[in-house]
Amino acid sequence: MNLKVYDKIKHSIRWWLLRRLPTCKQTVKAISESMERRLSLRERINVKLHLWICLWCVWYLEHLQLMRDTIRSKATQELNLDPSSLPPLSPEARERMKLKLSQHHD
Amino acid sequence: MFDLVASIRMSEPQRTAQSQSPDFSAWVDQHGDYLYKYALFRLRDGSAAEDAVQETFLAALKAYRGFEGRGSERTWLVGILKHKVTDHFRRITREAPIGETEDETFEHNEFFTRTDEWTNHWNADYAPSDWHATPAELIERSDFWKVLNDCLSPLPKRTASAFTLREVDGLSSEEICEVLSISVNNLWVMLHRARLHLRNCLERNWFMKEATH
Repeated sequence: MNLKVYDKIKHSIRWWLLRRLPTCKQTVKAISESMERRLSLRERINVKLHLWICLWCVWYLEHLQLMRDTIRSKATQELNLDPSSLPPLSPEARERMKLKLSQHHD
Repeated sequence: MFDLVASIRMSEPQRTAQSQSPDFSAWVDQHGDYLYKYALFRLRDGSAAEDAVQETFLAALKAYRGFEGRGSERTWLVGILKHKVTDHFRRITREAPIGETEDETFEHNEFFTRTDEWTNHWNADYAPSDWHATPAELIERSDFWKVLNDCLSPLPKRTASAFTLREVDGLSSEEICEVLSISVNNLWVMLHRARLHLRNCLERNWFMKEATH
């Protein structure tokens, strides 16, 4: 019974907060900007409170971080070790470059 | 900041490098594939990547006397290629139509509701879901990179360039603004739109399909 009352109060607080805090649209913009600059104290509090009550925005933040980590890891790994995802230089381009290099060297 | 000549001249010439002129065409076999993949990952355009690699080799040929030889040849060539890639972004954004930053196609207002009660909160049809993925798993999936490329393709050139410079090469906001000739506020709007679009595109075209397999 007590647990039910607790859940009801928690739900009401979340509901009340969600109506007063910046919207999801404003929050996802702030989340993106937090990856570029330090947010103001007010912005940080708003984002934190919003994330406390909105799982969709929590996932949004996680997805941006995952995209960044994945892309940067891929960019820094030795691309030669991963022949599957990127094609090599074509034989024609290879020959053309060799010709250019020999012409310019002469 | 991206002065190629200055970066090449920063090194003191090394006498041994001057006296022995290597077989420059052998560079193509030794480093061609690596440089091409490096450029292709960033430019997502085969012919632009080939041009960048060729320009790199020719610039390296001219600057070979300035190559101090302390580092590896490949690292030196990658250093030159980085500038060529940045030059490419600078060139294509200069050619992009003015006002592209105002393009609101990628504002994606449909992702958020417009009902009176919950205006500008997530529209349930577009709301994020749990991806259950880690970078280590995604890096190995070549089809993931194809989907990512396809998702980046429709973005306006300036926006896609800003995203690549920021997320692939980790350039600072100031450096990107200099390359793309935009204000920092414009950059933040572009990055936000790119992320909003990409996240949704990846969810629909990769994560949702993966979940059903």
